[in-house]
Amino acid sequence: MHEDMRILLNAFLDGELRGRRLQKMQTHLASCEACQNELKELRLVSNLLQAGSAPEALPTERFVSQLTLSLPRRPQRDRSLRPGSLTGWLVPAGLLGAWFFVQTVFALTNMITAANMTGLLGNAERWLGGWQMSIWFSAAANLFGGQAVGTLPTLSLLNNVSVFGANLLSGFLWQAVIVLFYWAWLFIWWLRRGPRPMKMQKAS
Amino acid sequence: MAQPQPEDTETSLIDQAQNGDRNAFGELVRRHYQGVVLVVYRMCGDAGMAEDAAQEAFMRAWVNLPSYQPRSCLRNWLYRIAINAALDVLRRKPEERLEDEQVLMVTDQTAGPETALIEKEQVALLQQAMQSLPEAARSVLVLREYGHLSYQEIASVLDVPVGTVMSRLNYGRNRLRETLICHEAKTEKEYA
Repeated sequence: MHEDMRILLNAFLDGELRGRRLQKMQTHLASCEACQNELKELRLVSNLLQAGSAPEALPTERFVSQLTLSLPRRPQRDRSLRPGSLTGWLVPAGLLGAWFFVQTVFALTNMITAANMTGLLGNAERWLGGWQMSIWFSAAANLFGGQAVGTLPTLSLLNNVSVFGANLLSGFLWQAVIVLFYWAWLFIWWLRRGPRPMKMQKAS
Repeated sequence: MAQPQPEDTETSLIDQAQNGDRNAFGELVRRHYQGVVLVVYRMCGDAGMAEDAAQEAFMRAWVNLPSYQPRSCLRNWLYRIAINAALDVLRRKPEERLEDEQVLMVTDQTAGPETALIEKEQVALLQQAMQSLPEAARSVLVLREYGHLSYQEIASVLDVPVGTVMSRLNYGRNRLRETLICHEAKTEKEYA
């Protein structure tokens, strides 16, 4: 108990103890003479350290004028791409919006195609602009007649699979384009963000 | 470029300085000079080295200001740079250390001359003892005693956990306390 409290004496002295730990310390100090003495000595050390005043350094004004004269030139940076600036965030926000739009459009298209394949849409198929045909299927329909080809179930199924695949591929391509734009923005932002933040040396 | 006014907020001065306004940076230096000098002086223990370290610290601050995020306190950011600059100056010129130890102190005017002398002796002793502390413990002690930073702030300045701050502070203050006790015992023996 005494040792547990002893290591917290500095935190108590600096006003860093709160709640239950503070209460426990106060209760312990009321009854422990050794800790009272140690706290008194630690307080004396702190007071003596602070009794030393500031060094006789250059007066502030002289220091400031000397320093501002010797400051190195710093390249002006484009604020538009600074982290946290509005324009800096507009590009990724726009790309995110575009990605969301493309995802929604292609998800809906695929859902409609799948519903169409399973016949869930029924008569709504005409209202949606008719049956979607792949290139090879429309060529076959032109050659052998639309009605004849449309009635063969295997060919119709293959046509639907082709349409579904084409939709997936174009969705993927659109997303890839958006991701490429995003990477390009990230790269430009990284190039233009200027000097890296300083890293603290680990004091040995 | 418009001259910065004393009532300009720190945030607007930082913004102007980040855009290359030297006058705005000068005003920031004016506001933080005393604090930074005190910290580097207590790290180096020498007025000349402290001046070099302060100059280097503000130079580094100017160069790195564009990457400074106003989310963190500017004073703490400057202290972090100042501690680094002081350690670098110490490593470059270790032979100059402690040669110019000054003991400038605010004495209690109501105390008698004997008490003032004892206090002056104790201050000198502690400041010398502080210079013999390891850099890690000294950095924490300086930021606490002269920078008046909280444990959390010290932890973020030095990039260490709060528990480490507490243990380094315990170590540093206890070493100084022991020095003081030894000195008192020695003095008592001399007068006995």
